[in-house]
Amino acid sequence: MKLTIERGLLMKVLGHVQSVVERRNTIPVLSNVKFDAQSESLSLNSTDMDIDIVETVPAAVETSGSTTAPAHTLFDIVRQLPEGSQVELDNTEDSQNLVLNSGRSKFTLSCLPTEDFPVLSGDELPHNFELPAKALRTLIDRTKFAISTEETRYYLNGIYIHVSDVDGTTKLRAVATDGHRLAKVEVDCPQGAESMPGVIVPRKAVTELRKLAEEFGENIRVSVSDTRIRFSFDGVVFTTKLIDGTFPDYGRVIPTGNDKVLEVNTSDFSEAVSRVSAISSDKSRAIKLGLTSGNLLLSVISTENGSAVEELGVDYSADGVEIGFNSRYLLDITQQIEGDLARFTLADSASPTLVQDTSDDTTLYVLMPMRV
Amino acid sequence: MKIRLLPDKTVNQIAAGEVVERPASVVKELLENSIDAGAREINISVIDAGREYICVTDDGCGIPYDEMELALQRHATSKLPENNLDNIRLLGFRGEALPSIASVSKLNLISRTSISDQAWKLSIIGGNKEGFSPAAHNIGTTIEVKDLFFATPARLKFLKTLRTEQRHIVDVVKRIAMASPITTIKLMADGRQILNLPSIKENNDQSILSRIDKIFGSDFGSNCLQIDVKRENVTLTGFAGLPTLNKTNSSYQHLFVNGRSVRDKLLFSCVRVAYRDFLANDRFPLVALFLDVPPDIVDVNVHPAKAEVRFSDTGVIRGLIISALKHALSNAGHRASTSSSLAALGATNPYVLPNLPLHGRQTNSHSANYHEIQMSINNSLNSDRLELYQPSAKNDENTAKDTGYDSASLGDFPLGAARTQIHETYIVAQTEDGIIIVDQHAAHERLVYEEIKSDIEKKTVNRQCLLLPEIVNLEEWQVEKLCEKSDELKTAGLLIEPFGKSSVIVREIPAILKDINIQLLVEEIVDDLVENEKVLSIKDRITDIYSTVACHGSVRAGRRLNHEEMNSLLRKMESTPHSGQCNHGRPTYIELKLKDIEKLFGRK
Ligand SMILES: Nc1ncnc2c1ncn2[C@@H]1O[C@H](COP(=O)(O)OP(=O)(O)O)[C@@H](O)[C@H]1O
Ligand SMILES: [Mg+2]
Repeated sequence: MKLTIERGLLMKVLGHVQSVVERRNTIPVLSNVKFDAQSESLSLNSTDMDIDIVETVPAAVETSGSTTAPAHTLFDIVRQLPEGSQVELDNTEDSQNLVLNSGRSKFTLSCLPTEDFPVLSGDELPHNFELPAKALRTLIDRTKFAISTEETRYYLNGIYIHVSDVDGTTKLRAVATDGHRLAKVEVDCPQGAESMPGVIVPRKAVTELRKLAEEFGENIRVSVSDTRIRFSFDGVVFTTKLIDGTFPDYGRVIPTGNDKVLEVNTSDFSEAVSRVSAISSDKSRAIKLGLTSGNLLLSVISTENGSAVEELGVDYSADGVEIGFNSRYLLDITQQIEGDLARFTLADSASPTLVQDTSDDTTLYVLMPMRV
Repeated sequence: MKIRLLPDKTVNQIAAGEVVERPASVVKELLENSIDAGAREINISVIDAGREYICVTDDGCGIPYDEMELALQRHATSKLPENNLDNIRLLGFRGEALPSIASVSKLNLISRTSISDQAWKLSIIGGNKEGFSPAAHNIGTTIEVKDLFFATPARLKFLKTLRTEQRHIVDVVKRIAMASPITTIKLMADGRQILNLPSIKENNDQSILSRIDKIFGSDFGSNCLQIDVKRENVTLTGFAGLPTLNKTNSSYQHLFVNGRSVRDKLLFSCVRVAYRDFLANDRFPLVALFLDVPPDIVDVNVHPAKAEVRFSDTGVIRGLIISALKHALSNAGHRASTSSSLAALGATNPYVLPNLPLHGRQTNSHSANYHEIQMSINNSLNSDRLELYQPSAKNDENTAKDTGYDSASLGDFPLGAARTQIHETYIVAQTEDGIIIVDQHAAHERLVYEEIKSDIEKKTVNRQCLLLPEIVNLEEWQVEKLCEKSDELKTAGLLIEPFGKSSVIVREIPAILKDINIQLLVEEIVDDLVENEKVLSIKDRITDIYSTVACHGSVRAGRRLNHEEMNSLLRKMESTPHSGQCNHGRPTYIELKLKDIEKLFGRK
């Protein structure tokens, strides 16, 4: 393999693929990125055995061929080459080594044979549809924070993406929960997705996908089977295994009978929460919300530091109620609310509370209180 | 095949499989027999870790010659005169050991009683009588065991290396010796003396402790707390090591029940609970506890090697041990291990100081030069330091006067008056009769931890409600056990309800344990409840978290402290329980008595 490619382009591609590569690997070849040069293009491929990413870009290929070389090291090198320089990659002299030439710099990187590089199974992905990039970003952003990190309930370690019927129209919905709170968002269901199975996309894939999403074009091609999901756009093909498990029937935990409605200015509320909880050094950061007609009293008591209270004028007319929350959770949710007004729908101090953006009826958050 | 009764020889070999697991088991049985016989001196000798030869000689009561053959028969014992298993006061009672050993080895029994002027010798090979004849022996008994397991070669294969087997023997002898201080016990291995434990001359705590100290080593004698409590008809005496003196396993924890050494889970768990606040999970304190109970409330007949016992009311015994240990530990307050520091100094001292001139003279010119260079570097370093520290030394005197810490009032402050800080890490304080060196980070960490902990104990734990309650499947009795304690669990932060017969549903968890594996937590709690009747796991975990918080929130090594800060730290340590060591079980300070310092300088 021998080819020349512009440094900026190589850096961008390496940036995408090296991110999937784990820092520590027991299988050496997994630390490497696979190069594959054909006529006028170069493909880079990396994998952690769950996620597989391939990106293809144009390059001046002199001799076609393939090899694998350390991903992180390569990225580090290319990043530090001067802007606008040309990079030559060559392993025709010695197949054990990849020589990288650029200007006066020359690096010789030891390679591992391409045959060792894993090829993930290529079963059929029967469900195919086009999803607007913006919709995918929404699905991820609104739910990612609620993904569980606790590994025994592994089926909560991802976002559950599935088709759902909402008032007679079909929607594509994403849900995540860590057992303490839940986030749910839906977008219009693209054509071709109607019959896709519900899938759980693992956390790492979600994070990687979100990084790539910054550069997404207009539309993303999505292909789904029972075991894998693939996102393709602009020369990138990102495939991940799905979590093999059943997502809980979350519909049951979304309350329908809550009758106490509080509406509050989103930023006033989140600033106040953040201010009063500053007094607590406790990890659980319990905050108490005391509601009386037209008034919200936020209070935090810290055994070491003292206490803090703040009052907010709010729209509330139901019976008075006092309820505790983890302030971290409250802030996570209010951060997702872009509209001016946040609506809390409560029952009592031990039951789930609903949180919504008044200007957006596609998202819904459920938060369990804390008993303080 | 026809069913038939097994011949005696086979029965004994089967029993040997249980009683005689390894050479050390033989040593144990013989030694116990000698002690039961009232011996004042016992000599043990082994060759090849007992595989080749074991010999135990005592000056006890001996066996009458017409009972010698009987002694070697199964279920023959002189120790249950009333055939009453509820009244066992001696170590033996089953009459099983001698026949079992004899069935798998070549055994000689030589014995003479005080009323006989002639000793007799009985030889048995693989369970068969080979000879019985007069012999020469003082009053007492000698039992020789040769070629152990020659008759059951399968057992031989399971023996470990000679070193391991020998270690087991030494352990067994030490353990038994600990409970029999009035007997001199000596152990020879391959002709070398391994142990020599003279009997104590006076039967008082001090002598008993010095015997234990000799067995434990490790400075135990000067780093332990005495235990002496009585509750109804149960007494617990003994010694518990300071937490700062600790080991990586529990082999230095001994419990004796009516003089019998037992390796019971009960003791280990009591010790773990009592020391929990003072030691990291992987460190183990040294303890030797003697429990005396009426024989009828303990069943010693539950384990083939009698290594375990069962109490009719485990809770009472447990409570007694834990509270006695805890009480002793909290009275010890900030007392840390003193002599370990002396040992440390002793180890470095001869090397650093007296050797210097000698070293210079005796070695060749090359290393002498090297040495000179080294010296001059040291000197220049030292002089730098001196300059740096001179002013603060002057300050010391002023502060000492200003703050009222003159030598007259030093006696009021066990940790003394701060004199200076060295390496921005250690506080040096002067006490009435010595100096104290405090590790500032470790000490402050402990103070912060104790503060936080007393806060947690005051309030109930915040509970996070679960959106997806977790169902944990258990055994029916476990569910009952858990639900009995549901109120206590709730204050600890866990809301549990029964869910069907054999599972519970967890609705709320301690908010601080956000990403906890609930299933595992519940299982651990059940274990705790079974073992201790207490809800430990959650509190343990919560305390663990606070312990890390404390570590991050405390004064680091490397921060300069002024005199007011140093003295206030010392005063706080004096008034805070358990401040003598940090959360990881390391000492927070060490004390050097003036007389220790004098020893170092050879003045005394
Ligand atoms: N060293 C000894 N001195 C005096 N008597 C002994 C000695 N060893 C054994 N015996 C006698 O032999 C009997 C059988 O011993 P053993 O088989 O160990 O059973 P146990 O100790 O349970 O009674 C004892 O009951 C005791 O009378
Ligand atoms: Mg016996």
